[in-house]
Amino acid sequence: MWWLTEAVPRGRVAAFRTLVYLYVAADLVIFTPWVRTHAAVPPELYQPLFVGRLLPLPTPTPLLVHTVFWVLLVTALLAATGRAHRLLGWAVFILYFEWMIIAMSYGKVDHDRFAFLVALAALPTAGAARHADRTPTERGGWALRVTQIAVVATYFLAFWAKVRFGGLGWATGSVLARAILRRGTDLADLIAVVPGLLIAAQLGIMAFELLSPVVFGLRERWRHVAVGFFYIFHLVTIATITISFAPHLVALTSFLPLERAVARVQRAATRLRSPGIPAAGERETLKEPTGVGDPRYEAPLSG
Amino acid sequence: MYVTDIVTPELYGLAAMDALSPSARLARALVTLAGAALLLAGSAWGSDDHFPFGPFRMFAGVNGPDEPAPDTRVEGTDVTGVTVILTERNSGIRRAEIEGQQERYETQPELLHEVATAYAARNPQAPALVEVRLVVRWHEIRDSRPANTSRDEVVAVWRAP
Repeated sequence: MWWLTEAVPRGRVAAFRTLVYLYVAADLVIFTPWVRTHAAVPPELYQPLFVGRLLPLPTPTPLLVHTVFWVLLVTALLAATGRAHRLLGWAVFILYFEWMIIAMSYGKVDHDRFAFLVALAALPTAGAARHADRTPTERGGWALRVTQIAVVATYFLAFWAKVRFGGLGWATGSVLARAILRRGTDLADLIAVVPGLLIAAQLGIMAFELLSPVVFGLRERWRHVAVGFFYIFHLVTIATITISFAPHLVALTSFLPLERAVARVQRAATRLRSPGIPAAGERETLKEPTGVGDPRYEAPLSG
Repeated sequence: MYVTDIVTPELYGLAAMDALSPSARLARALVTLAGAALLLAGSAWGSDDHFPFGPFRMFAGVNGPDEPAPDTRVEGTDVTGVTVILTERNSGIRRAEIEGQQERYETQPELLHEVATAYAARNPQAPALVEVRLVVRWHEIRDSRPANTSRDEVVAVWRAP
């Protein structure tokens, strides 16, 4: 139970929050612009999902689609500042969930955003968090932990789905050849002709998905190596069969010490603003100032 | 037990900690378990209909090593006789969405009229479509590798009355 709420620095929660909400805006405009095109699709083609029938959510109209789009875009950008994290966080979660119902209710459900939805649901409970704040937070720790669990569940349960729907014969079938024929890149066409390679890749995918929960047992350094491997897997998937899994890739950052990246950016920004003054962390390399006229003279006091 | 509830971490010389009360921690544990139970049930018995708790069945179907791959497209003929490929970009409907409802189109080909309507809504200047066809291109596969041969099959047609 302690593991579930293991504390993390507030700065990490702040960085994750900013990243997740900025992605919501990017998702609307750049990554899945086709959701908005459902505004013009006739209602006869709307096939509501279970949750859409249960609640029951309205059949999308142009007014509904465009309203959700603009309100969600503004709310997500405001939420990315970290202010009113609870109110704006819940608003983004509810609006994005409705956006997903609009997206997935026309005959195709995507499987790339379960962990991202978990992050959106957990972030409003993570407490206020400022960038660079090192105070450990357990509520923030829980939000990141459940996102990590959802990320790994996506891999592990993808293995399970292959066994359930395809059987173990999935590994020796032709699923990758089929994907390459339907949506492959030139790179994939080069790979596809190598005898046995696609079957080896299918075996590798099954092994990786089955073993993915091991990441929780690894020490920090090796855990980061494993997360790097996850990213490489997705990079290869994008380069060969153009499946991006973008929201999942954002959720995957819940494993990373994001606050260190923010600190690095802040140091770089400080350097840009005042080139003569070395940023924090570089002071050790500072040579003795030559005198009061030296621009570095004030440096030790500035940090 | 009672002491830990009132002792703050500062007393131990640590940085202040945003700690959870035992009840808040229990609530989070219960929410986690409930979410995990829904997700596992969805993966064991559910379908895509149970989004977001459905099974992660992307590319999970069984395809034999020599089974041809379907590559579906919707094409229309406009009043000038020109063939137009109806894509996500010009109709607002994704290929996977066409495939997800393919059986409906096969049993009710008049539904393809809705695709023409969506195309007209997004392209008001374009000549009207008088025919819409749902075509599957079957790419041959041998030994789990593409065989570079294919054939087209028209599975549904709508014609303007």
